[in-house]
Amino acid sequence: MSAQADTAAARRSGRRRGARIGSGLASYAGFVPAIVLLGLCFLVPLGIIVCYSFWETIDYEVVHHWTFSNYTYFFSVSAYVSTMWATLWVAVVATALAIGLAFPFAYWLSRYVPQRLRVPLLVLVIVPFWTSYLLRVYSWLTILGDQGVLNRFLQWAGITNHPLGVFLYDRPAVILVLVYLYFPFGALTLYSSIDRFDWNQLRAAMDLGASPAQAIFRILVPQIKPGIITAIIFVFIPILGEYLTPQIVGGTGGVMIGNLIVNFFQEAEYTRGAAVSLLIAGFIVVLLLIFRKSLSAKEAYGA
Amino acid sequence: MTTVPTLAEQASPPTAAGIELRSVVKRYGTQTALRGLDLEIRDGEFFCLLGPSGCGKTTTLNLIGGFVGPTEGEIWIRGRRIDTLPPHKRPVNTVFQSYALFPHMTVFENVRFGLKMDHVPRDESVGRVRESLRLVGLEEFGERMPSQLSGGQQQRVAVARALVKRPAVLLLDEPLGALDLKLRQRLQIELTQIHRDVGTTFVYVTHDQEEAMSMADRIAVMNDGRIEHLGSPEEVYRRPASRFVADFIGDSNFFDATVTGDVAELTDGSRVGCAGGRSGPSTLMVRPEAITLATGPGSIAGRVLQTSFLGSYVRVAVETPAAEAPVVAALRELANVPAVGDEVSLSWSPGDGIVLEPPG
Repeated sequence: MSAQADTAAARRSGRRRGARIGSGLASYAGFVPAIVLLGLCFLVPLGIIVCYSFWETIDYEVVHHWTFSNYTYFFSVSAYVSTMWATLWVAVVATALAIGLAFPFAYWLSRYVPQRLRVPLLVLVIVPFWTSYLLRVYSWLTILGDQGVLNRFLQWAGITNHPLGVFLYDRPAVILVLVYLYFPFGALTLYSSIDRFDWNQLRAAMDLGASPAQAIFRILVPQIKPGIITAIIFVFIPILGEYLTPQIVGGTGGVMIGNLIVNFFQEAEYTRGAAVSLLIAGFIVVLLLIFRKSLSAKEAYGA
Repeated sequence: MTTVPTLAEQASPPTAAGIELRSVVKRYGTQTALRGLDLEIRDGEFFCLLGPSGCGKTTTLNLIGGFVGPTEGEIWIRGRRIDTLPPHKRPVNTVFQSYALFPHMTVFENVRFGLKMDHVPRDESVGRVRESLRLVGLEEFGERMPSQLSGGQQQRVAVARALVKRPAVLLLDEPLGALDLKLRQRLQIELTQIHRDVGTTFVYVTHDQEEAMSMADRIAVMNDGRIEHLGSPEEVYRRPASRFVADFIGDSNFFDATVTGDVAELTDGSRVGCAGGRSGPSTLMVRPEAITLATGPGSIAGRVLQTSFLGSYVRVAVETPAAEAPVVAALRELANVPAVGDEVSLSWSPGDGIVLEPPG
């Protein structure tokens, strides 16, 4: 609100200055590096993609001929549409699992772990980031594969006499690896939000007759809602655009929309690839707009 | 007192006292917080647990509230054993030192929370919340958020939130600790009024002896996991059971003495009257306001070190061979205050010389 007042005041004083527009512009000079960076690295590429998505590819050449055909083509192929729904479904399940694991972890860390052990544990959560992302996905092949740790253990334990192929190259494997990859984002975001919570409130709630679960869901969860939404955004949005994980551990059954985009670009179908990319981007923008409403609840009780 | 109850006694419910703690022991690892506590709190009384930090008073409160479990012993409320119940199933509500109001709910919803948990119908709960807010003088504040209230108002909301459930026992954990002196004194009066209005048993934990003295019907003075003295504020002040109690509550003067009957012989050889009660080497305790100073020599001779005017009384420190530390006298009559350096004699009526066990 004060920001609005500020800009209104700025506008008024700008009018008073009248001709001295130059000095008004000069006050924005400090933003030039940011504007250039944002423009070159974000707005220009985005503009190119938007243009591409409305152009046509004829004989592997991009023709500057305006059309909706890239979008209509995508929705006319049922395999693409079902991949889109599958991507949403995988992202929802993986996000739910990652947050579902991260919440108890963050709760346990900030409530029961002594202060001096918290930083080491948080470092352990971050340690995987020190290795390459690609390596971390590949390492799951050595766990889930035919010659992997899991199959060898099952054969050693006599549960099966031949390697089971069910662990790899399908959606469950994709979801498992995605949960592993994005758990740290959820855990760190939730921890920083739970860590500020006054635990006496849970005692008070239980003292007033709430069961432990009621105390958590009626007292703790509403107060860390901004943190939960941030965690969901941090996990859900990158998963929507994932293509390496499904490519490496997903096989043919685990294809996600990111793989479609890669395929289009590899086959020089730039305009169709651009259209699908914008579909995801548009979907994410809509999601963020919905979430933004809930995020403003933060201000409602001055947290 | 601490004899092991027979099986028959264990099977029958104890007297329907408000709260009864039977041989309660609480250990945290190797540390013992409570060493076999026996305590009976009467239904409807304002009871204070008083003591320095680490004496076990908060542990006692948490045991009644259910936030910690006893290592040994039993806790009963109105003839029902409760030490095996989780906090949300006990007929007990707590006012926390930090208030622990829910910042995302209005004052009204804060107070209604406990009734919602009990599935009280909406019409009834709204009425009870209003009544509870009226009791603490905040009926106009229902729509505010806790962050919009002052510390004293937040404290009152915490009291209303606990009392709306009509508990058998209200536990208060240093509820005024975070407030300034003036506000604290005003809320002390309000709390005693609220206690009279609702008639619920109040168990109040504090380290502030004045707070305990001004509000409680009875006080348990605790030290090192034990109750050193349990009695009315007047008893605890006038006839403290130990040197610790005398020292903790109010100001006191201590003399090493050898007691025979109702005569105490001090280290300087002077003989004074005392209340008796034990004989042999003892500590004699006299409150500052019980001491009279006379000019000229007498049985206990001394010299005035310092006089301080403190408004309603003058505090006089007297150096005497009869005591190690200067003896402090509080004089109400401002006319006959001796000057610094005057030779004086100290005396008191025999009943004011309390005989206690010697230290060590």
